[in-house]
Amino acid sequence: MESIIDVKGLTRTFGDVTAVNNISLSVRKGELFGLLGPNGSGKTTMIKCLTGQLRPTAGEVRVMGLDAVAQPVRVRELVGITPEQETPPSFLTAEEYLHFVGHIRRIGDIESQCSFWFDFLEFGDKKDVLCKDLSRGTRQKLMVAQAFLHKPGLVLIDEPLINLDPIMQRKIKTYLTDYVKGGGTVFLSTHILEIAEEICTRIGIIHRGNLIREGPVADLRSSSKHLEEVFLEAIRGDPHA
Amino acid sequence: MNTIFTAMLKEEWRVHSTLFGSAGFALFPLLLVFFAFAGAFFWPFFSDVLPAQTAVALIHVCYLLAGASVGGFGLFGREVMNRRFGQASMIAYSSRSLPVSEQTILLAFFLKDTVYYLFFWVFPFVAGLAFAMPWIGLPVTSVMRMLATLSLSFLVGLSFVFLLSTIYVHSPRTLLGILAAAAAGAAFSAHSVNAGVISLLPPLALYYRPSPLLLLTTLVLIIVPSAISVRFLKVEYREETRRFPETLDRLTGILARSPDAHLIAKDALDLNRSEGGAGKVVFSFLFPVMFIWIALFVLLRFIPMVNALMVFAILLGVISSTIYNWVTEFDLFTSYAFLPVEVGTVIRGKLQSYGLLNLVSVAILVAAGLGTGQVALLFPALLTFASISFYAVAVTVYVGGLSPSIMLYNAKVYLPYLGLITPVLLFLLFVSIPNPWFALSSLCLIPPGWYILRKALFRWSAREQPSF
Repeated sequence: MESIIDVKGLTRTFGDVTAVNNISLSVRKGELFGLLGPNGSGKTTMIKCLTGQLRPTAGEVRVMGLDAVAQPVRVRELVGITPEQETPPSFLTAEEYLHFVGHIRRIGDIESQCSFWFDFLEFGDKKDVLCKDLSRGTRQKLMVAQAFLHKPGLVLIDEPLINLDPIMQRKIKTYLTDYVKGGGTVFLSTHILEIAEEICTRIGIIHRGNLIREGPVADLRSSSKHLEEVFLEAIRGDPHA
Repeated sequence: MNTIFTAMLKEEWRVHSTLFGSAGFALFPLLLVFFAFAGAFFWPFFSDVLPAQTAVALIHVCYLLAGASVGGFGLFGREVMNRRFGQASMIAYSSRSLPVSEQTILLAFFLKDTVYYLFFWVFPFVAGLAFAMPWIGLPVTSVMRMLATLSLSFLVGLSFVFLLSTIYVHSPRTLLGILAAAAAGAAFSAHSVNAGVISLLPPLALYYRPSPLLLLTTLVLIIVPSAISVRFLKVEYREETRRFPETLDRLTGILARSPDAHLIAKDALDLNRSEGGAGKVVFSFLFPVMFIWIALFVLLRFIPMVNALMVFAILLGVISSTIYNWVTEFDLFTSYAFLPVEVGTVIRGKLQSYGLLNLVSVAILVAAGLGTGQVALLFPALLTFASISFYAVAVTVYVGGLSPSIMLYNAKVYLPYLGLITPVLLFLLFVSIPNPWFALSSLCLIPPGWYILRKALFRWSAREQPSF
C-alpha cells in the first residue's frame, strides 16, 4: 500500500536541544497512526516538520508524495491540520473563521460544510461569538472542524481531544475511525494512551526525540499487557534516556 | 510586594531579551546614549533652527508621550499580550491563583515600569547629553536637572494613562469626554505656545524655574492619578460575550478586486472589534500628527522660509508607516502557519490594509492644505507624502516583517531602519527649505522602495517565522 507519509532520518534541533532525533517512519494510506509520547518528547515538533511549518535540520520528509521542505504550502493545501497550541483569530466569530479558512482553501460549498460541523460538534449556538470569547473546548471543536473542511486525504491532529467533554471525545473518535474506513488517513499525536488503544491501527512511541517503538497496536501489546504497560516499559528502557 | 516587584523586573527583562536576544536588546539604551550625544554635539550647528528652549520643550514632551505609551499598554496590553504570547501567563495576572491583591500587583507593576523604563529610556539619554557637555558648554547642573525633569515628565505621562485606563474600565464614554476636553485644551494653548507649553507641563517649568512648589505640583500630578488608579482598580468586571453576524464574506465581496480580499477583510474586523476599535489607531496616530503640526508652526517662527505643508507631508509620510504596525499588532503568523498561506501573501494583505487605512493620512494632509490655503501645493505634497510613505513602509516590512513593533526594539534591527530612513528624511527636509517643490524628488524613492519590498517578501518567506 502506498505511503502517505514517508520520513527518513528526520532530525530537528533548537540550539543545543535535539527535539527530534533521526526518526524514520512511514504511514500508509488508510491508517490511523498514533504518535505517543510524554510531554516534551517531540510530538509537536514532529508534526510541524511533517507539515512544513518547521524545516528539518536533517533528513527527508515526504507527505502525499510531496517534499515537505521544498513544497510546504502545497503540502498544507492537501492536508488538514489541527494544531495543539494555536487558536483561531480572536476577532473573527466561529462562523467567520470557518469562512476565512474556506476562502484560503478556496472551498466552494463552505456553507454546507459549516452547517455540518456546527451540528455535528454541537456548537451552532456559538457560531456568532468571537473566537476569543469561546471556551477552550469550543475553540478545539472549531480547530477540528477547520481541518476537515476541504475533505483532505490526510489529517494531522495534535492532541485531538484536549479540553473536550467525554461525549464530544466519543463523537470525534468515532468520526476519525469512520474517516479512515472511508479512505482517509489520520496521523494523530497524543500523550493519552487510551485514545491510541481505542482507535489507532499503528502507533509509534517517541521519547526525548527518539522513536523507540513502532508497529501495529495489536503487535505491540500482548493479551496480557495493556498499552500503558508497553508504553511505560518502553520509556523506562529507552537507551537514549 | 518586594518579591512581586523583583519578579516583575526579571520578567520584563526576559520578555524583551527572549524576543531579541540579550545583546540585541541591551544595545537599545546604548543607541539612546549615542543619539543623545550626537544630537547634543551637533546641536550648535542648527541651534538657530532649533533654539535651546524649543529643543528642551520637545524632549520633555517626547518623554511625556513615552510615559503615556508605556502606561497605554495597560489599556491595550492584555490583548497584545494574549496575541503575542498565547497561553503564556504574566505575573500581572497571578492574583487569580495566588493570595495577592490586584492593587498590590498594580502598584508593583507601576513601580516596575518606573524603575525599568527610567533605567532604559531616561538615564541613557541623559548620559548621552552628559558626554556631550565638554563640547557644548552644557553645565552639569543642567544635565542633573534634566535627569530629574525628564524622569518626572515620563512619570506624569505614565500616571495619567494609568488613570485613563482605570476610567476606561469603569466608563469608556467618560474617557472619551476627558480626551476630547484634553485635545481641545491642547489646541487652545497652541495659540500661545511659548507660555502654554511651559506652564502646561510642570516638569518643564521645573527645569527652568526649580522651586519646591513646582516640584510638589509635579509629584502631586504623579502620585494622585496613580493612587486613584490603584484605589479604584476594577477587579472583576464581566465582559459581555459579543456576538456579530457573519461579516467577513460581505467585506470580502466588497474588496473582491483584490485576490487577498479575505485577508484585508479580516484585518478590518480585527481592527474594528479589538479593544478601543479603530479609535485607538486614530488616537495613537492623530495625536502625534497633531503634535507635529503644532510644532511646525512653532518652527515657522524661527525659520519662516520653511513650507509647513511640505514639511508636514514629509514627516507624515514617515509617521504614517506606523499604521502598518497597527495592522500587524494583533495578528501573528502562527495563526496561519498550519494553513496553505505564505508569509509573503499575509504581508501583501497587510500592505493593502495599510494602504486603505493610509487614506486617513491623505485626508489629514488635504485638510492641512486646504486649511492653510496652499491648494496649489497640495498635489505635490500628496505625491511627496505617498512616495515617502511607500518607501518607509517598504523599509519597515524589510526589517520587521510581520512583527515590526517588536523587531524595532531590537537595536540590530532598528539601526538599519534608521540608516535607511534618516538620511532620506533629512535630505528631503533640507531641500524643501529653499523650494518646497524640490521635495518632489521623493518620487525617486519609489524604485528603491519597490526593490526593498520585493527583497522583503523574499526574505521573510524564506525564514521560519518566529513564535513568541
